[in-house]
Amino acid sequence: MSFFDILHLALRNLRQAKLRAILTTMGVIVGVAVIVTMVSFGLGLQSNMLERFKALDLFNEIQVFGQGLSSLAGMERPGARDEGERRLRSRRATRILDDAGVKEIAAVPGVAYVEPSVNFPAYVRSNGKLLTQYVGGANIPNAATRFQHFAAGRMISAPTADEAVVSERFIRDFGYEKPADAIGKTLELLAPPGEKDDAEEEEETPNFFGIPLDDPGFDELSAVETRTFRIVGVLGTIKEGAGQGGLRGLMPSAGIYVPLAMAHSWTTQHRGPLGQVALALARQGGNLGAGQTEGYEVAVVRVADPAQLTEVRAKITELGFGSFSIVDEIDQIRTVFLIIDSVLGLLGGISLLVASFGIANTMIMSILERTREIGIMKAIGAEDREIKLIFFVEAAVIGVVGGVVGVLVAWGIDGLANRLAYRFILKPQGASFIDFFDLPPYLWLGAIVFALMVSILAALYPASRAARIDPVRALRHD
Amino acid sequence: MPALLAAQEVSKIYQMGSNSVTALDNVSLEIGEGEFVAIQGTSGSGKSTLLNMLGGLDHPTKGEVYFASRPLGPFTKKEMARYRRFSVGMIFQNFNLIPTMTARENVSLALAFGGLRGQQRRARSRELLARVGLGDRLEHKPSELSGGEQQRVAIARALANNPKVLLADEPTGNLDSIRAHELLALLREMVNQDSLTILMVTHDHELANSFADRIVFMKDGRVV
Repeated sequence: MSFFDILHLALRNLRQAKLRAILTTMGVIVGVAVIVTMVSFGLGLQSNMLERFKALDLFNEIQVFGQGLSSLAGMERPGARDEGERRLRSRRATRILDDAGVKEIAAVPGVAYVEPSVNFPAYVRSNGKLLTQYVGGANIPNAATRFQHFAAGRMISAPTADEAVVSERFIRDFGYEKPADAIGKTLELLAPPGEKDDAEEEEETPNFFGIPLDDPGFDELSAVETRTFRIVGVLGTIKEGAGQGGLRGLMPSAGIYVPLAMAHSWTTQHRGPLGQVALALARQGGNLGAGQTEGYEVAVVRVADPAQLTEVRAKITELGFGSFSIVDEIDQIRTVFLIIDSVLGLLGGISLLVASFGIANTMIMSILERTREIGIMKAIGAEDREIKLIFFVEAAVIGVVGGVVGVLVAWGIDGLANRLAYRFILKPQGASFIDFFDLPPYLWLGAIVFALMVSILAALYPASRAARIDPVRALRHD
Repeated sequence: MPALLAAQEVSKIYQMGSNSVTALDNVSLEIGEGEFVAIQGTSGSGKSTLLNMLGGLDHPTKGEVYFASRPLGPFTKKEMARYRRFSVGMIFQNFNLIPTMTARENVSLALAFGGLRGQQRRARSRELLARVGLGDRLEHKPSELSGGEQQRVAIARALANNPKVLLADEPTGNLDSIRAHELLALLREMVNQDSLTILMVTHDHELANSFADRIVFMKDGRVV
């Protein structure tokens, strides 16, 4: 008897008890739909989250620390804070992160770029208003994602240009109508007169592309020193999805960005009292030479390929810098998701288990009804194997049909849930469509194969029982 | 000439709790090729049990059944199925057709077990049903056929894979005397023309007498 004949017989048997076959298949459909919907939700959660992390540049950035001024001054950090910091900044820095260090890091294979982070608060005057703002230094040119999207204008043109880009928030705070209005306007950073340290100036001048000492905004005589920048660009705020609110990567965000060199010289010239004490102690203790400055506190290293991150990080440690990367945390997140997906899959698995009892029950009922027929088939020469196969194929048909329909149902539920979530939750909030589910081929194919396997397992006992039927007794059966 | 089908000192004892019931007691029987043998006896005489034994549906407790001088005892389950498929055909008092299948489908099922495919199967089932006089009843279900017609479908099915022997268990039990005569005339014709060997169980002495070559009497599990 060919497989086609067996399939034909199996289908005929199912057709004969149509309602029962449909109800049994429904059990499988529900089981598969639950598994697929749940696991696809778990996978969707995971991929959305990792996607967001990726969009935030968290996978390809490393924060690098040099020896800070406070540790150079010989200060101990308070214990409680140390605990957390030691875990994050796993390796302690042993050298100062200065321009030479930045160059060395930039030379490490796999590093796309290094951007020292300078970020300080300052009084800022623009459009007739005076407010405190965080000012950040930006490498020019700059490939970071946070400088890719402009609401108006462009990026700062040169490392020495007296130009600034500002955030959209800045525009609102300083009372500009719209981003384009601010382009071409000026902003002034205000500070007390800078400390005149000739040695420091001499050291720094060549390093910082020669900031002119007779800068127009640099007035030694006045009580307040100002530095004027022309606003050339307004950064666009990403309103939705990944990178919401403009926070991206490990670089702290600021309201105003000026060329890095200018920002750095500003911080060394306008140190607060704490910084002045620390510098003096560091010099006194001999940790910082007379001509040396304290360098950058933090730099953000971007790797070209996230896969190289660990390798690059190890090299940076060899160079004597401390580092931090979010990837350490990601592995833990993955483990958590694996557990979540397993639990979701297990819940679905239980419903498929229940369905398998339904299949076994249907098969046994069917055998009771068809005892005589099985006896007849045996009397005319059916082998046990062929009888068994008929039942296995019947179960397999239920499993595959249930699996395929179940996957389609799950797919429909996914689509419907996405649309409902968009219609009633996301859209009212002004957010764009998000696919909450992830239905990769391995999931739906796996679910169908799983349904098939469960069905065949459920038919194991009924099929062998059918094959064992005694034809003499079966033929007497009515 | 050696017998085509033989039972040698066959006993069948059923265990019913602590009691044992002897259905067959040391029965020996030989049927030659092309013979039409009738077994006659009252109900409970063990004639159906003997037929099932010879048809490979049941195993003797003691003794041996031989087909073409080969003992069936050592046959595996699979070999036994093949024996039922190709060597013997069986028909029953209650026809045992599959009620949801048409006449042709019932015959085709046996042909399918015999390994015949598509077009061949169609041709052969038509030929078999024509042979038993049902060439115009191919697509009728058993419920749409008379008792005599149903038994003819059963004969066509039994002969599907060209067996040498037809084992008939009370084939006329559910037929009126006219249909019974017609059916046995058909079987007699098959023995005469196609040199089929038939072993028929019946309790109708008149029918056995007029169509069979030989009558074997059984009583209480023994040949008398």
